[in-house]
Amino acid sequence: MRVPAVLGILLATLPSAGAHRLDEYLQATRLAIHLDRLDLELDLTPGVAVAPKVISWIDTNGDGEISGAERDAYVRQVLSSVTLLLDGSPVRMVQGKTHFPLPAEMGLGVGTIQLRASAKVPAAGAGFHRLSFLNWHRPGLSVYLVNALVPVEPRIQIGEQRRDRAQRGITLDFTVAGDARWVWGFALLVGLLIGGRWFVLLRGAWKARASGSTLGLVQRSFQTIRMRGSVYLLNRRGVPSTNSARHKHNIHHGA
Amino acid sequence: MNLRPVFMLFALVFPSVVAAQPGAGPQTARVVVAANAFLSTLNAAERAKCTFDFSGSQRTGWSNLPTGIVQRNGLRFGDITARQKDAALALVAAALSREGFVKVTNIMNGDEVLKNAGGGRTGGRQGAPGPGRPGGGGGRGAGRSLQFGLDEYYLALLGTPSATTPWMIQFGGHHLAINVTIVGANSVMTPSLPAAQPAKYTLNGQTIRPLGQENDKGFTLINALNAEQRKRAILNYDVKDLVLGPGADGKTIQPEGIPASQLDARQQAMLLDIVHEWVGILNDEAAAAKMAEIKAGMAQTWFAWSGSVKNGEVAYYRVQGPAVVIEYAPQQGDVDHIHTIYRDPTNDYGAKLVKP
Repeated sequence: MRVPAVLGILLATLPSAGAHRLDEYLQATRLAIHLDRLDLELDLTPGVAVAPKVISWIDTNGDGEISGAERDAYVRQVLSSVTLLLDGSPVRMVQGKTHFPLPAEMGLGVGTIQLRASAKVPAAGAGFHRLSFLNWHRPGLSVYLVNALVPVEPRIQIGEQRRDRAQRGITLDFTVAGDARWVWGFALLVGLLIGGRWFVLLRGAWKARASGSTLGLVQRSFQTIRMRGSVYLLNRRGVPSTNSARHKHNIHHGA
Repeated sequence: MNLRPVFMLFALVFPSVVAAQPGAGPQTARVVVAANAFLSTLNAAERAKCTFDFSGSQRTGWSNLPTGIVQRNGLRFGDITARQKDAALALVAAALSREGFVKVTNIMNGDEVLKNAGGGRTGGRQGAPGPGRPGGGGGRGAGRSLQFGLDEYYLALLGTPSATTPWMIQFGGHHLAINVTIVGANSVMTPSLPAAQPAKYTLNGQTIRPLGQENDKGFTLINALNAEQRKRAILNYDVKDLVLGPGADGKTIQPEGIPASQLDARQQAMLLDIVHEWVGILNDEAAAAKMAEIKAGMAQTWFAWSGSVKNGEVAYYRVQGPAVVIEYAPQQGDVDHIHTIYRDPTNDYGAKLVKP
């Protein structure tokens, strides 16, 4: 596409106002926090008056066409102008999908470059985290928006957000709640252990009943549990007990 | 052949037929009648231009930009007869409230004023014909690539007008995008984008501010907050455009500002009154249901402000709750050029009502 010719016609016929940007380069960023990934959506919309300049940054050989290589180079340039820190450590963004409008659309102040990138991050552990973002790209003629998207994972809760007045940067705190699956898994395990023990005891009782000494067996079983509990408490407290030896003895002998 | 008696008979009989269908409410019946009346004014080629699949890309492909930048689909007002235009506007009116339709026509007339004034240059002709009346050239003169004004509004119907199955009315042009999804007795008007440039103009001796209430009520609320509340509500950064404008479907940003739970009853009522400026564009029946839903979610609703608190100066505000997002954003520091957006993060395009 021949950029200058088309752009020249469009600019010559352009009304001085409308629903399109004029002398600003709008850079709107949305950040999405996931448990193991950060996504960045960056929408870049040059205004009418700055579009020729922006196009010249992209169309570096000035042939009036924006090639794939020029697009990639510009995306790299933008991403290298963006700083992302997670808990103080820099995060490397990898280019995702991008969409470049026609230069003519950019010339009208409505063409938006859509740049997507993401970064794999170590699985965020439960607790407090801090994400910082700063956009250094072309501050001279840009206006900025930066927002965090509501996290998809309910375990992530965004807290305080702090921005500079121009919204070039944002620092946001977030917390990750513990994985409820582990808690439930642990609870299930404990439940199985207790249930298993009771099963053994009751089965013993059932057998004893069959042999006519139910009451004695159940009593002995409860006594065993009580003794083991006492030993456990005494060991934890570290208090020597004259009874502990006896308890141990009883336990040892299956009393 | 005079078709007027046939139309009148159709108009008298059809509502009762529609209303008798399960799921139909009287409001939906009225809109279906108006839609069919509009369609009956079109020939086959016009119908083909105006009607689309409900589930196609047309649904989300709306814009507030002038023609020439975006290619709108649908029937262009500049290409239809006065009778067709009347029927089209009658359909839009049937879907909206009386106040909502006035707001829409004020936005359209404002766009004609902008066109006649040379696209915002001072010294242009003031005053413009109202919608449905013959307009100007619509900015389509030789060599003009941007087209706006009354002729550049488009109407599209997605799906078949029905009292039971989902369908949609899409009406818009420069500074206006109205998307009404109708599913049975329910109407949903999200996402929609009412905007205004100029924000104030004179037409037939009357001063018109299409979004004047939205502006004034916002300033009234921010000035009704005490110092502590205001400190929470006012963001310490500039917001120079819509955050969730066209194309930002399905995005929900982290809310900021002051939660409505920290407003007193009077302030909460003022907040709801602001919200009603957008919700109330839709017909009264649907607007009442929507307001009830928004009121139910007040505890999780937030109000954020950026900019001056002096009416007449530049300020942005946002209302965000579980079932509503509203942004009011002056463009590039110009109080005479306002964009707004109205969304429902849970129900844009009637997502909750339309079974996939």
